[in-house]
This record gives sequence, C-alpha cells and structure tokens, in this order.
Amino acid sequence: MKLTRREFLALSGKATAGAVIFAACGVPESELIVQSPVDLPEDLVRGEDAWYATVNPDGRGGDGLIVRVMQGRAKKVAGNVDHPVNMGKHRVNEDAALQMLYHPDRISAPLFRRTHAGQLTETTWDRAQTLMDNALNTSRLTVVTNPLRGHLGWVAQRFAQDKGGRYLAFDPVEQGVLHGAVKTIFDADVLPDFDIANAHTVLSFGADWLSGWVSPVRYGVQYGKLRSASERGYVIHAESRMSATAASADLWLPTRPGTEGDVALAVAYVLIEEGLASANEINAFTSSLPNGILNAYRPGDVAARSGVPVEMIMKAARRFGSSRPSVAFGGGSAGAHVHGSFALSAIYSLNTLVSGVGNTGGVKLNPDSPVAGLSGSATGASFEQWEEELAQWRAGNVDTVVIRGADLVHGMPDTVAAREALQAVPNVIVFGTVMDDTMAEATLALPEKSYLEDWGTDIPEPAPGYQTVGFQQPVVGPTISADETGLLADARSFGDELLRAAGGELGAVTMRTLVENTASDLFNESRSSGSVTAPNVQLFRSGTLQRGGWWDTQATGPSTSFSFPNFIRGKTEAEFSSTSALGAGIDLTLVPFVSHSLDVGRYAAAPWAQQVPDPMSSATWAVWAELNKDDAKSIEVGEGDIIFIKSVVGEIEAIAYPHPGVPPGTVGVPIGYGKQEGGRWAEGRGENVLSIIADQKDEETGALAWAATGVKVQKTGRRLKLPKFEGTVEAFPIEPGVPVLVVAPGETAHEAEEANHHEYQKLFESDETRAEIGRDSIGDRISGSDGAHE
Amino acid sequence: MAVDVDKCTGCQACVLACQVENNIPLNTQDRFERNRAISWIRVERYWEGEFPNVKARFIPVLCQHCENAPCEPVCPVFATYHNAEGMNIQVYNRCVGTRYCANGCPYIVRFFNYWEPVWPESLRNHLNPDVTIRSRGIMEKCSFCVHRIRRGVRKADSEGRALNDGEIQTACQEACPTDALVFGDMNDPDSKVSEMKKSDRYYTLLPALGTSPNVFYLAKIDEDREVAHAGAEGEAGDGH
Repeated sequence: MKLTRREFLALSGKATAGAVIFAACGVPESELIVQSPVDLPEDLVRGEDAWYATVNPDGRGGDGLIVRVMQGRAKKVAGNVDHPVNMGKHRVNEDAALQMLYHPDRISAPLFRRTHAGQLTETTWDRAQTLMDNALNTSRLTVVTNPLRGHLGWVAQRFAQDKGGRYLAFDPVEQGVLHGAVKTIFDADVLPDFDIANAHTVLSFGADWLSGWVSPVRYGVQYGKLRSASERGYVIHAESRMSATAASADLWLPTRPGTEGDVALAVAYVLIEEGLASANEINAFTSSLPNGILNAYRPGDVAARSGVPVEMIMKAARRFGSSRPSVAFGGGSAGAHVHGSFALSAIYSLNTLVSGVGNTGGVKLNPDSPVAGLSGSATGASFEQWEEELAQWRAGNVDTVVIRGADLVHGMPDTVAAREALQAVPNVIVFGTVMDDTMAEATLALPEKSYLEDWGTDIPEPAPGYQTVGFQQPVVGPTISADETGLLADARSFGDELLRAAGGELGAVTMRTLVENTASDLFNESRSSGSVTAPNVQLFRSGTLQRGGWWDTQATGPSTSFSFPNFIRGKTEAEFSSTSALGAGIDLTLVPFVSHSLDVGRYAAAPWAQQVPDPMSSATWAVWAELNKDDAKSIEVGEGDIIFIKSVVGEIEAIAYPHPGVPPGTVGVPIGYGKQEGGRWAEGRGENVLSIIADQKDEETGALAWAATGVKVQKTGRRLKLPKFEGTVEAFPIEPGVPVLVVAPGETAHEAEEANHHEYQKLFESDETRAEIGRDSIGDRISGSDGAHE
Repeated sequence: MAVDVDKCTGCQACVLACQVENNIPLNTQDRFERNRAISWIRVERYWEGEFPNVKARFIPVLCQHCENAPCEPVCPVFATYHNAEGMNIQVYNRCVGTRYCANGCPYIVRFFNYWEPVWPESLRNHLNPDVTIRSRGIMEKCSFCVHRIRRGVRKADSEGRALNDGEIQTACQEACPTDALVFGDMNDPDSKVSEMKKSDRYYTLLPALGTSPNVFYLAKIDEDREVAHAGAEGEAGDGH
C-alpha cells in the first residue's frame, strides 16, 4: 500500500493520541467513560417555554420573528419558519431586540423641560399627556418617523393630516433613488422581489444585499438556495468597496465610486454587440434610448472610467447574457451619487435584455398591499425635502415636532444643522426607548414600548412576490425594575398615544383595535388561498397571530414587462465634492457603508450589536477606516494609526485598517457610530461619518448623494489598538487550502488537497533562499500578502 | 455537524445567535483589545490574492467535537470527556481551570473565563435558564447546544416517537440564513448530515493531526481555480 505523506501523518497522529491516552492513564478503557454523575442545567428541562410570533416594524425587509418566552421574560429571538420573507432565519441586529427591551438605560418615565435651555426632569404620564395635547393643538405641526409601512406609519401620517400638519419619514440612507428607478424601469410603486434562488447568474451593483441592504435575511436565504442548486448559481457584484456581498461573489468588479451605471451599460453593450440577447430583447431595451448612445459605453472606455479591467467587464457580460436565467439589481452606494437615478435605471434596465421580468430566476413584480389604506412601500423623504423642512423649523414656522424612530441629529450631515433646527422649535416631543442625540434635544421625551411589547402590522418590502402582511403582538408585558420598586420602563405605545391624542378621529383608539380590525377585514374577504382559514373571525385572528401574519400565494404582482422611457439624460460622469481647500493629505473618495449590526445607528445602544465583528475587518466597538494598502503606505499609515478624514463639511477621526480588498482612492467608513447619546454602550463611541457628508444630491430625486464626498486623509500621529476579533485566535502560515479549501467545479476535496500540497512542496524545493528567509516567509507568499486570519 | 463553506457569507448571525443562546459574557471592548473575547463559534476571514483579483474567504470554526480529542486526555479532573453521543462535553463544576485542554486544542476553540461574567441586572432577564453561567476560572466551549438536544429528546420521548432528522437545531444553525450549518445524527444514514458527508467536497480541518473531528466541511467552489492536474496525487505521494 502506498501512503502519501499526509495519510502517514494522519495515521501517526491517531496512533500517538491513542498511545497517550492509554499510556498516560494506565487504566482500562472502560473506566475512561467519565459521564458526569451530576445533572447540569443543560441536562434538565427547566420549565415550559412558549414561542410567540411577531414582526419588527423597524427592521429592514419585514422579517417574521418568533420570540421564546419563559416566566414572562423574552429569552431568544429567532426567525419565523412560517413567514415567507425570511423563512425561519434572522440577522444579528434582530437578536439585539432583547437588549433594547431590557436595556438598563431605558428611559423609565416621561421627561420634561420648559425650554431647550432647561434640564429634562421626570414627570408623570398624566402631566406628559396634558403637555403633549397642548402642544399638539398648535396649528403648525410636523410628525417625523423612520420609514414605516404598517399601521404605525399609517397612524403617524393620518394624525399629521388630521391636525393639518406635515408627515416626513427619515432614513439617512433613504431608498428614494431606488424607488424612483424601480418606478422608471418597471412602472412599479413597490420594490420587486428578486428570484435569486432560481437564477443562474446574479449581477448586482452597489447594494450589499447579503449584509444590510433592503431585505438581507431574505436575500441570504435565497443565496443559500442558489449555491445549493443542481446548477450552482454564479454571483457577480460591482461595488466600490469589498463588502460581505463582494467577498461572497464569484466575480467582484471593483468600480470607482459613481461608475456603476457605466458598467451596467457596458454590459448591455456587450450583450447587444455579441448577440447574447435576442432581437426582441434588444428592441425592448433600445426602443426609448437615443440612437448610438451605447457607443459611449464601450467596455474599453468604461474600463478606463470605472477602473474595472476590461476582461472582467467582458466576463461578467458574457456570463450574464449566456447563463440564464439572470437577474440584475442594485442600490446602496451605486445610487448615492449625483447621477444615482441614471445608474440605478441603467442597472435595472438590464433585466429587459435577458427577459428577466416576470420570469423564474428574474425580477418578480410585487402586488399592492393586501390591507386597504396601508402602503406596501416606505422610504424617507428626500434630502431636498428635509432641507426645506429644517429651514421652516429654523425660521420659527413650526410650533411642534413629534419624532419617533428617527435620530435626525445623528443621521443628518452637519450642513443642515439639525440640532440647531430642533432648538428653534418650541415643542419637541420625542418617543424612544434609550436616549439618542435627537431625544436629547426634546422638550418632552416619552418612553416608548419596545416592539416586543406592542401591537402593529408590517407590510414587508419587498414582498415575496405575493401579498403579505406581518402581525405584531406583545410577546411580554412590562418588566419589573431591578430593585423591584416599579417598572423598568413605564412606557407607552407611540401609536396608542397618537390615537388617544386624536380623540377617536382616526377610527380606533388603540393599535390593538387596528390590528384586530385588519384581521377581521381579511377574514371577511374569505380568500381560500390565504395562509389562514378559520370558521369564525376569533379563530382567524388567533391564527394570524400564531402564524405571525397572513399571506396569499395566489395574489401575485403583474408579470408583464414595461417599456421604460429614456433614462440617459445629459452628463452621467461621477461628481464629487471638492477637496482643493482642505489642506494636506491624500485625496480619496469617502465610501460610507451601513454597519451590518448597528444598521445606521438604530441598534448602537445594544452591546451585542457593538461587539459582533464586522464581516470584513472583524472590528468591534470602534470606528475604523478601510484604506487601500498602497494609499496607506503613501501617508505612512498602518493599522491602528488614527487618521483625519476631512471633507468640505468637517472632519472626523477613525482608526486606520488597511487591507488588500480596498480599491485604491477610496476610504470606507461604517455608518452607525459616533452617537453623543445612546446609553452606556453607545455614547461617545467613535465619530459619526454622516456628519461630514457633503451637500450633494441626486439630480432627479433630490436624495442625498451620500457616496459622493471627496475627502483628504491625513495621519494624526496618534495610535490606538483597533478592537477586533482578528488576532484573538493565533494563526500560522500553512499551506494553501487550510483551513478554507477551495475546489474548482468538478474537482474533489481530496484532489484539491493533494494539488495544494504538491504546489506547496514545489515552492520549498524551488526556493533557493529558503534557508535564509525561513519557513514563515514562504508561508506568507502562499497565503497572500496578509497571510491568514492573524 | 456539516459546514458548507461555499454558502457562508460571513454575516456573523451564527456568532451572535450562539452568544445569546449560551449566556456567553458580553465581549466588551477591552476583551477584544486583550484578545480574550469569548466566541464559541467564530467566522474566520482569509485574504487570497492581490487587488483587483483579491478574494476574501469565510469559514465558521467551532469545537470540532473530535473523536480523538486532544483536550480530553490532558484534563486532570475529567472535566472534559466524550459522551455516548459523540460529543465533547465540558463539565463546568469539575473544571479547575488548568487550561491544559485549551493548550492541547489545535483548533483554538476553547475559551477561559478570566473574569466573573457580569451583566447589568436588567439584562439578566434575557439569560437562558437552560444554560449554566460559567464563573471565573472555568473553561468553556461549544456544547452543540446540548440543552436543545435534551429538550428535543425528551419531547420525542414524551410523544412516544423517534427524533426526526432536523428536529433539533443548534442556535447557530437556526440563525444561519444560507443554511451553511447543518446539525444532525451521523449514525443515521438517511440524515441530511450523513448525505452531506458523502459529498466530493468533504474535508476536515487539520486531518493530519488524527483528531477525527465530528464537524466536517464542504469545500468552497471557485470557478477561477484551475482543476488539479492529472497525476498530482501520485507525484505528491512519490515525493514524500
């Protein structure tokens, strides 16, 4: 029998382990079965648990959740297996809901001050309600929330309307450009679903869809199915940052910021030029575009503009055109530019060239909301609208602002001075669980129930291709405080408080009534294809709460393709804020990105969200800046150096983290840090990248072009250790394939291991300087410039 | 347990789900700075190549529950042992904190409690009553969510039936959006995990050490990799 060296070592290891066991102990083998005679908690079933289904109306995507409750306390959040959006899976910040529920810094009682100059002091709910009612009787009112699709959003909008005021939603990375492009290309008012699971080729741009974009859990579930399909799907991702999605893609196109639309049209050019699309598809694509317009997007020219090698563009285009079904989508930083609407329209238009609309493995257009009066779509007001609104506040034209779920002070760039605008409003009423930068400016701060304590609904966006509504119910009651003298938080529902203040004008007095009425309406529709059927309305309501919602797989969206208008109007070149007056440092483009755990800062108060490592840097608890290694070297910056990042608006500091995946000319900084308020785990933790975003807007929608800021980066001369998981476990340079074994399609793991080993040995044999440079250097060469996970 | 590396996106959902389920102490900033964060499952990230052809690879690493576990024979008080179900078990109230097991573990998946775990009183509300809170001086590691196994087995017993494949899910598996983690009974030839073990992409970590892990991996697929040339195995064998 011929043994390889590896097989010999494996056998030797086993023999040695056995020898150690028996020689060292000198006792019969049977006596080594040392089952513990003591029952540990793990061995016991300690009481009955109950799992309640609910939804998080503040979460992206509208995931269905189930919550484990024991003795009245929530113990675990998990995905609802029944729910068609996330199918039993969940993401990191959904776990953090438990810590927001039991947060030691939850506001325990209403806080009031007469003027902005005063101190917030505790008051009773009776007095708070009187103060709130008086403030709401003023004629000039604005209600602000985060984008909400369910009944909470409906109540906020209707309340503002009823009082003659305005309603605005706020999201620092609002999806207005995305919604605009979807409207342009598909004539749809709600975001479509992408059938990633059944696609053979996925081509995405800018959107970090596996980490934080739109509906990351749903996309993750679909990605898993795509990878396990009999014909394994191929993912191509174009982005100016190596995100978790870029890292998971088979082919990453590292675009210069703002050139994603150009790359999309270069792909279209190749498909048409090489006959990879049919005549009908080409006609549908080009019918509204000016003749010859695509000549400006030849792959060679686009390669020069975008920085993506021409062979990569060609490879992506050929794969997208030939390995169908294919789907193209984009968003995030790709749309956060001055010509963001052009870029996203170009990206979504690609689906026409592969007949992807309405077909398996393509784009599934979604139906309207199943609940009359509730929108199936929500996004923040545009930055342009916000500038106008804040100007009204500053001018003293607004008497009362009611805010919930929107940290304007943290989320707005310093150019609009949101804090000062709030200070010009006499009555600032803010609902929340833990103090944030906006609540700190309130004249009346009101403790709000966690979503685990409240009623509501959510229409997921995107829906899974058919009508869906999620039902939110309180899974626990109020929690007794640690000293058992009262409640942890004497909190009320935001929706309930608005309904109370409306005095019955909105048709209900509690959120619970609205939820129950919705269930009754669905019952009365008597849809046999609905997910819940019951003989009477009471059982139907119970059924919807038990399942966490209601959906009708037969109520699908339109399946026809729409002939889109010309979306290429005038200049499309990327534009950035100037850096000429910013002094010393290297010129880079700022690439802010949504933290996978903090989101845009919504979960910053939760220590779990702070401590979970970033997928790429493994950084925790601090703001880091991802730099290209050569760029970092040019300013003599290494990991741990604190750098200034200066824009025309201001400057922040961050801890440098150069790595091999950062495109030259960019600096990536996570959004979500830098809160001045936010409880013990968030306060003063790093600086806020949103504060230095330059005042540039998408030319069509007026959305903030948050990825179009030019910056100067300079070394401060100070250093800090970056808190990160990398390094916790010591790694040694060893041969390729350990521990991540990579195989080619059709290659077995054993073949790959042997080939890797052979290659490794050849390197030793051929390296004449081996004796001088030592084994580690050889190992470094094999495992890449940075070696392994250090 | 099977880990399909081709599906892992590095999202860390498994890492936090494990933390929540198993009452792992808060990993505060200073613990990361001292390289003493506790994470029963971790996602390692490796760089490969140079820009623009750079790739990042993710791999979840947890206790491998080895058949020939190097951590077991070195424990002077039998705090870690192999149970009849093939799991490597840590008995907290036997552990005296020698850390010999951690020194012996080649996968570095054992963690020592250098400090008494502390939660603000209100956060103790969410602690899992099924799982022991480990005190200072105790070693801890992945238990394959043994408390979930106990619940699952007793539920099946009480209903007078056998356990179904997939009925017991570890917390990490439950959270994983892409189903990269699959837990099951490898003694059941029809289980999903047994099916996955037959894959051509099957491999284990550090096989040359002879630890016979009960966690196995399915290799990452990369179309850019050239297929191993014919005869590579023979040549490698000849060379050694």
